[in-house]
Amino acid sequence: MAERVPIREGTFQEGPDGGSLLANKCKSCGQIFFPQAKLCQACLHEDLEETPLSRKGKLYSYTIAHMPSSFFPPPHAMGYVDFPEGVRVFAPLKIIEDKPFDVGMEMEVVIEKLADLDEKELIGYVFKPV
Amino acid sequence: MREVAVLGVGQSQFGKMPEISAAVLGRDAVLAAIKDAGISARDIQVAYSSRLYDAAITSQDVLKEVGITGLEMINVENACAGGATAVRGVWKEIASGHYDVGVAIGVESMTTSPIARKLIPPGKDDIEGQLGLTMPAVFALLARRQMHESGATPEDFAQVSVKNHHHGCLNPYAQYKKEFTVEEVLNSRMICEPITLLQCCPNTDGSAAVILCSMDFARKHTTNPVKIAGSALLSAGYSWQQKDITSSPLGVETARRAYEMAGCGPEDIDLVELHDAFSTEEILRYEDLGLCKPGEGVAFLRSGAPALGGKVPVNPSGGLLSLGHPLSASGVRVVAEVTTHLRGQAGKRQVEGAKVGLAHMLGGFAAGLEAGACGIHILTR
Repeated sequence: MAERVPIREGTFQEGPDGGSLLANKCKSCGQIFFPQAKLCQACLHEDLEETPLSRKGKLYSYTIAHMPSSFFPPPHAMGYVDFPEGVRVFAPLKIIEDKPFDVGMEMEVVIEKLADLDEKELIGYVFKPV
Repeated sequence: MREVAVLGVGQSQFGKMPEISAAVLGRDAVLAAIKDAGISARDIQVAYSSRLYDAAITSQDVLKEVGITGLEMINVENACAGGATAVRGVWKEIASGHYDVGVAIGVESMTTSPIARKLIPPGKDDIEGQLGLTMPAVFALLARRQMHESGATPEDFAQVSVKNHHHGCLNPYAQYKKEFTVEEVLNSRMICEPITLLQCCPNTDGSAAVILCSMDFARKHTTNPVKIAGSALLSAGYSWQQKDITSSPLGVETARRAYEMAGCGPEDIDLVELHDAFSTEEILRYEDLGLCKPGEGVAFLRSGAPALGGKVPVNPSGGLLSLGHPLSASGVRVVAEVTTHLRGQAGKRQVEGAKVGLAHMLGGFAAGLEAGACGIHILTR
């Protein structure tokens, strides 16, 4: 089996429920960051703790690209999802035929292979309509 | 602080010209600006140049072509706002009394840059970019929210491109002098929904230069100098601070600072040159600059206000959409364009009776930030 490499270490965790994104939270002011911040960008406090985000959020915006980008041949979809923790995250979107994208629709996190890189599988997070 | 005048403006031809070096593009703009100012190259005491790609000592490289050596030369980069940064640099030198005369140059040879025929690539640690967030995608995601928040339609977005291409037909410097209909814009190749090819600014080579000087120096060369009444440059905040992506804290605050310094408000502005990298974006900028109330950008467009002959013509030059976007040149080019209108020398694209104009440029994209930088200059006659 090909070696699986994450698109970036520490951005997500896999699990039986499908996995989730890993943010961090300032222990002083409570601001949450994804990807995780080295120090709190709101209050400059340096003590932050890792916190997983909810698995589901609402689609804030989306587009379908008709040109290639990084790992994805066209057409491919991408968008922002707002999580209940107050964090907005950009990711590729899975196109499902009978569930056209709509602002405000419920989306869930899926951890899956994004691309084959030489002998390795690049693993990352995408959102799909619930 | 001393008053600063724009004494000379110049630009090179804009287009795809891989056989012409950045130094030669810059030379053409500087020579035109010196001639326009009616001064000698030897009068110039300080230079700021901006160039994004493949750049080193751009001021020296350009100015050696016109007989200028042995001065303080400063080379800056601020993505697409680099040109505005160079103008502000020279403005500060003269306003503070360090020098009396200086030149700001913006130049870009996109066709010979490492990103020729490509999109601007994401940074190594830009996870959003790695996941596919290109510049067209950024603006497409914004456009979808504009449709959601304010009822903008694909036809509205296309209308911006129709308007700016119409203006470009009146500008001898435009890369594309061609009229389009809304249908033609909408039916051009889809790039990132809802943005089509004719709503994206083209990759372009070109240069612009402006000569700034103290008001005392200007009055020796002209009876009616154009003055820089306001200058503001600001970096953006974090994107997590931006709850609604169609509302730009960066644009609003930069405009507020420029208006405050100029002692005027949006109601005083007769024309605007701004960053229309994508047609959809121009509507957002109407709101940032206060040309209309927040959320009313679409109504402002539909009223005809930003077209030539309207209340506040926006991008009478043709904008980035028809002139093309030599990244670092555009921020200088907009100052040159506004100056030309205030002097009444803009020919067929002239905004009649223009007394106050605003030159805007926005640049840069980094994961986690709203944008890179915004630069605004307000010019008066």
